[in-house]
Amino acid sequence: MEKSEYFKIAFRNLKTRSLRSWLTILGIVIGVFLIVTLLSLSEGLKATITKQLRAMGGDMIMIMPGDESNIMMSFIGGTKIEKEDMEAIKKTEGVDKVLSMSYSGVVMRYKKEAKTVLLTGQPWKEAIDILQRFQGWSLSSGRWPISGKNEVIVGQQTASKTFEEKVKVNTEITIKGKKFEVVGILNSLGSKTDDSAVYVDMSIYQNLTGEKKGSAQAALVKIEEGASVNKVAENIKENLQETEKRRAGAAASNFLVITSEKMSGIAGSVLGVIQFVIVIFASIAIVVGGIGITNTMFTSVRERTREIGIMKAIGAKNNTVLLIFLIESGIIGFGGGIGGTALGVLFAKIIEQYGQVHPIFYFSASVTPGLIIFGLLFSFLVGGLAGFFPAKTAAKLKPVEALRRYE
Amino acid sequence: MPEPIIKLENVWKIYQLGKIEVPALKGVSLDINPGSFVSIMGTSGSGKSTFLNLIGVLDVPTKGKIFLKGKDISKLSEDELAQLRGRTIGFIFQEFNLLPNLTTVENVTLPMIFQGVSEVEREKKAKEILTMVGLENRIYHQPAELSGGERQRVAIARAFANDPELVIADEPTGNLDSSTGNKIMEILTDFHKKEGKTIVVVTHDPQIANYSREVINIKDGEIVANHQIGKEVLWKNQNISK
Repeated sequence: MEKSEYFKIAFRNLKTRSLRSWLTILGIVIGVFLIVTLLSLSEGLKATITKQLRAMGGDMIMIMPGDESNIMMSFIGGTKIEKEDMEAIKKTEGVDKVLSMSYSGVVMRYKKEAKTVLLTGQPWKEAIDILQRFQGWSLSSGRWPISGKNEVIVGQQTASKTFEEKVKVNTEITIKGKKFEVVGILNSLGSKTDDSAVYVDMSIYQNLTGEKKGSAQAALVKIEEGASVNKVAENIKENLQETEKRRAGAAASNFLVITSEKMSGIAGSVLGVIQFVIVIFASIAIVVGGIGITNTMFTSVRERTREIGIMKAIGAKNNTVLLIFLIESGIIGFGGGIGGTALGVLFAKIIEQYGQVHPIFYFSASVTPGLIIFGLLFSFLVGGLAGFFPAKTAAKLKPVEALRRYE
Repeated sequence: MPEPIIKLENVWKIYQLGKIEVPALKGVSLDINPGSFVSIMGTSGSGKSTFLNLIGVLDVPTKGKIFLKGKDISKLSEDELAQLRGRTIGFIFQEFNLLPNLTTVENVTLPMIFQGVSEVEREKKAKEILTMVGLENRIYHQPAELSGGERQRVAIARAFANDPELVIADEPTGNLDSSTGNKIMEILTDFHKKEGKTIVVVTHDPQIANYSREVINIKDGEIVANHQIGKEVLWKNQNISK
């Protein structure tokens, strides 16, 4: 009915205690900022990973040494897929093509600079076709390298960011004392790691690094048309285990056979845990901010006891007083929410702008309208909830006692 | 015989101070009729503030009954009492009790907001009353920018905002110098004469009590003298002679 008037009164009251109001709002700003930033970062992370997984294609199978309980070991571990294992994979029913892959960090010299880059070896003969058709690789300039020649292609980041002077097509680079010609530059592959790599033919990679011929660090399987991914993956696993048995006492133990579907499942569950933890921590920040509101409002009720008495004497009902105080705490909460969300969005944008420049971490942030609405609603709710008890106290004051106070 | 606005029947108010019971009012019975101008006199500690709180339905008696326009207030809820206060009673306090954050006009419109009066009507009425008390040039000032006399005039305007039937003034001149105090009393008397409002003034100052038609003396929680009837005749005669 007269809600807008109550808003006016509440606003005026907050303005009178402006320093305290701002400080309380700041408490909420920090909490909401945290929650918005962290959630947008984890959303961004999720989006990046999903994008990369999608780029891998639906009917691909990745094989790495190691086992499921320790995935990180597979990425950084020194264990290899041996030649026999590779043969076993190739012979498996439903397997169309096998792409072996190895990578290691090397120092690359370009003009007068030397930088560490990720050197990736792939057999060009088979790789180029599969990579183009199923992984979405394309060149922004130059041509694809010829198998067996000292030619490399470089990722987009390697070309434009890694060296002070941009790497151009038809220039010369040096890796481990050997000279290579840069014949092509890739378009972005959607991942920081992939974009910051240098790609050579598998045979040259193995000459350069001393890796055993025929072995690899990972293998990518393209299955035959119509074959079931999960079935083929199962078969590969069985074949690998048999090979393993025959080669008694071999060092390498298990293999990780992952379909892209499973990969996204794993990534999803990991991200779920991360997001859960984030929400818990950010919520603590919000709760602390909420306690700040409660505190401020209680102080306010004490200070304004007389005013409450006056309002009641001239006809304010309990609910009117309750409403005015709730509006005040709601404004604090909502104000904090606006500030926090705005800061969070700003921060997310900055990360999006500069995060990708960082050589190791591939940060991205995603601010969805849902997240913004959540931030605002949540803070308003916290404000209202935190203000409820002080407001109730104010509403319950007896007019005589309230008027007598401080007399 | 009109129905009294406020009727007190053997009203007791007992305060509990720790384990000791302190009676502030001891069986007071009184009628305040519409259109009267009553002064309640008594020294501090006589129970006159308690008395004022009760007739203003800010408080409820320990024993006895209070009827506001025939309604037993002990049967009303807190919200109903608030509503009743807002609509039928106007308060004027010794310390003015304006809301410091609101401007003059906002202070006057506040009781009307609580009664759900429309904005246009509120503004119109507030400006009208403020003009009556001579504050038409102080409408957008805050209480801190006003003198004591001006603040009390705002309070008077606020008390009359909802066209109450009863206005209760608690030492309305207590914080003012005597000439400003007299002006305030003149404004009150004016409202009484022009609008026929029932006015109850609580004071310890006989000078102020002189403005009223009736004087009730309270001592130690009891009415010691009620000059209602005699004074009424006197006052009426004075009025006629004017």
